[in-house]
Amino acid sequence: MAETTHWTGSDKYLCDPALAQAFHMARTLGMPLLIEGEPGTGKTELPIHYAKDRGLDLEVYPVGSKSNIEQFVARFDHVKYLRDSQIEILNAQREEKGLESKLTTGNRNPEKLGDYVVKGPAAIAYSKPNSVLLIDEIDKAPREFPNDLLYALSHRKFIMPESGEVIEISEADMPAIVITSNREQELPTAFKGRCIYHYIDFPDKEVMGKIIEKHHPKLDEKVVRVALDVFYHLRRLGLERAPTTREILNWLKYMGDIAPKEAVKKIEGLEGIGALIKTQTDMERVNRMIGADDTFGGSRLN
Amino acid sequence: MLSSLPEKFRSHGLKADVRTLLLLRKAMQKGLIKTLGDIYNVLKGIVVKEPSEMGPFTKAYYEYFLYVPIEPGQTLEDAILRSETFAKWKTQFLDEAGKDLSDEELVTEFLDQVHLTSYDIKEVINGKEIWDKDNPDLADEDGLENDGEPAERVLDKMADYSDLSLEELLERMEKVREQQKTRHGGGSHWIGTGGISPYGHGGAAKNGIRVGGQGGGKMARKVMGDKNYFPIDRDALLNDNNVDAALASIKGVIEESAIEKLDVPLTIKSGLKRGGLFIPELSSEKNEELKVIVLIDNGGYSMAPYVRSVQNLFRKMKTRFAHDLEVYYFHNTIYNRVYVDERRTKSITIDKLLAHSKRYRVFFIGDAAMAPYELDSHSIQSIQSIVSKFKKCVWLNPEPLKYWPYTYTIQVMKELVPMFPLSPAGIERAVRKMNEKSSN
Repeated sequence: MAETTHWTGSDKYLCDPALAQAFHMARTLGMPLLIEGEPGTGKTELPIHYAKDRGLDLEVYPVGSKSNIEQFVARFDHVKYLRDSQIEILNAQREEKGLESKLTTGNRNPEKLGDYVVKGPAAIAYSKPNSVLLIDEIDKAPREFPNDLLYALSHRKFIMPESGEVIEISEADMPAIVITSNREQELPTAFKGRCIYHYIDFPDKEVMGKIIEKHHPKLDEKVVRVALDVFYHLRRLGLERAPTTREILNWLKYMGDIAPKEAVKKIEGLEGIGALIKTQTDMERVNRMIGADDTFGGSRLN
Repeated sequence: MLSSLPEKFRSHGLKADVRTLLLLRKAMQKGLIKTLGDIYNVLKGIVVKEPSEMGPFTKAYYEYFLYVPIEPGQTLEDAILRSETFAKWKTQFLDEAGKDLSDEELVTEFLDQVHLTSYDIKEVINGKEIWDKDNPDLADEDGLENDGEPAERVLDKMADYSDLSLEELLERMEKVREQQKTRHGGGSHWIGTGGISPYGHGGAAKNGIRVGGQGGGKMARKVMGDKNYFPIDRDALLNDNNVDAALASIKGVIEESAIEKLDVPLTIKSGLKRGGLFIPELSSEKNEELKVIVLIDNGGYSMAPYVRSVQNLFRKMKTRFAHDLEVYYFHNTIYNRVYVDERRTKSITIDKLLAHSKRYRVFFIGDAAMAPYELDSHSIQSIQSIVSKFKKCVWLNPEPLKYWPYTYTIQVMKELVPMFPLSPAGIERAVRKMNEKSSN
């Protein structure tokens, strides 16, 4: 039986209630959960922490521009197969010539096709009841990839190439599937139709405070407050690439080693702001708009 | 049951069909739906497939389940305050509450009740149980009776409720829905006070929420106030708020594929060199192409309000397709040259424009409104030559669709270039049109 209890986060991961509910719903219905939202809102973290917290096996498939369904499910390694069969011939020839040494096929037997099937994360997850499968950043995939996934996701069954082995799982045992996307490309309607959809809103100040506490529990309250002010102020500037959760966490990690009073000063002086601002244009913009504080604060500190 | 739901949701531009109902049914079977708020959540997960659909979805939900119509441009709060449904609910609520609340507080309370989910209830119950266990002595005291009771009642009612069959549940849901419409429906069948919510009149639900404090209540208010949930009119012309939706649709033009292939010639060649030992050689074939030419009409006052949004849109595109995006400007229509800069001082001839690879996709952006004499045979020829060279051309027009029939030059231009409104929905259709052609 797959795990379908309502999971609301762990001590390391603060799960937005709406996301927790959508996740629960997806698991109960045995459907994949498609999460979209700004980068750095913890999309990928959800299945990782869920699997860790509940002690489940996690399979990850990071999607890239060359992803294809074979990598995801399983592929037949023709190269190794050809190599090994060539080696067999070669060994036979060597034997004929009375040579002792043999080349090895690494325990693979060209007679057994199953030895050459390389299982991808999907096949592995489907062969283990009650596991977690993460398909990360599906929007990076070639256009046909999501469509190819359709079949894989809606039929709980894979047939391994060449060997014909069947991997099948019951609806009750379906792995919890989480798919993340940064919306860099629109996904096909039919694909979205097979998923439970959830859009993560950017956390507000209050929630962000809690997230920070989970990651840096020892941080001084005042430091966090000041940092949050700066952070949300920067987000309001309409930058090309607004700073995200990940960035403020990194920034504060750096501040964590400094005495609170000092840290507040540093934050107000926008020190280490490079952790938050990612493009040159944005940096120029920030300098132009609140740059006075920067040089001012900076010089005072030095 | 609820058979009119897909139709209603589709009329709001959402994708809903019989499968939506089947999934909804499955969700009920699995015990995911116990309150009206649950329906909102579950349907949202099933129906909404991108952030821009959140608005239309909320609108459809309020209309269908609560008979609260939301006019274009109206806020949810306004719509609720003006609705008959709210008026009826208010009368009853105020009777029970025995205190006066401001409109704002009332709406918050209303949202609480509408969006109360079974998760919230469970949270309250769990919280109560733990609390009661921790304080066995206190729980026995009379003074705390009031606090202890509601939780138990919720539990009782929840248990009662689980005996309901799916059919009964559906029937009840439909009935409640109907009753919210009719004038005499009020009374005992109301959201949170009966009907769809499992807890009886005099609402354990309400007490539950009070005990719990947070959950449905604060959440609902916060969520509904979010701009993502606020109905965004997808047919509204492009502005800063919906530029992201537009960008999402424009990204649909990307054509990308990558495959690893066995390189047969290379395999044979290197195999022969190895004396007949063939080791497969792989080569990757990668295609990624999105070459875009944007022709913007930046002359004339009529275009002025849109220039910024349009540029914003393509600037965002540019960050992604840095080398494959070219922007040119024109005034009203194109004669024998287009301009390289916004102020139209530097230009290139139309021949030079036509020298681009025919794989470029061309977006015209302009209102196509001009004096009829401006669109002379010379200009028509130029446009035609662009269209015939670059097979994938569309015209995006910021002028509201309803005015198109009254502008002669729009009519003419429409015949030359497929024209779509400059709205997220329009861009989506334009992109679809482009991709259609590419398959031929």
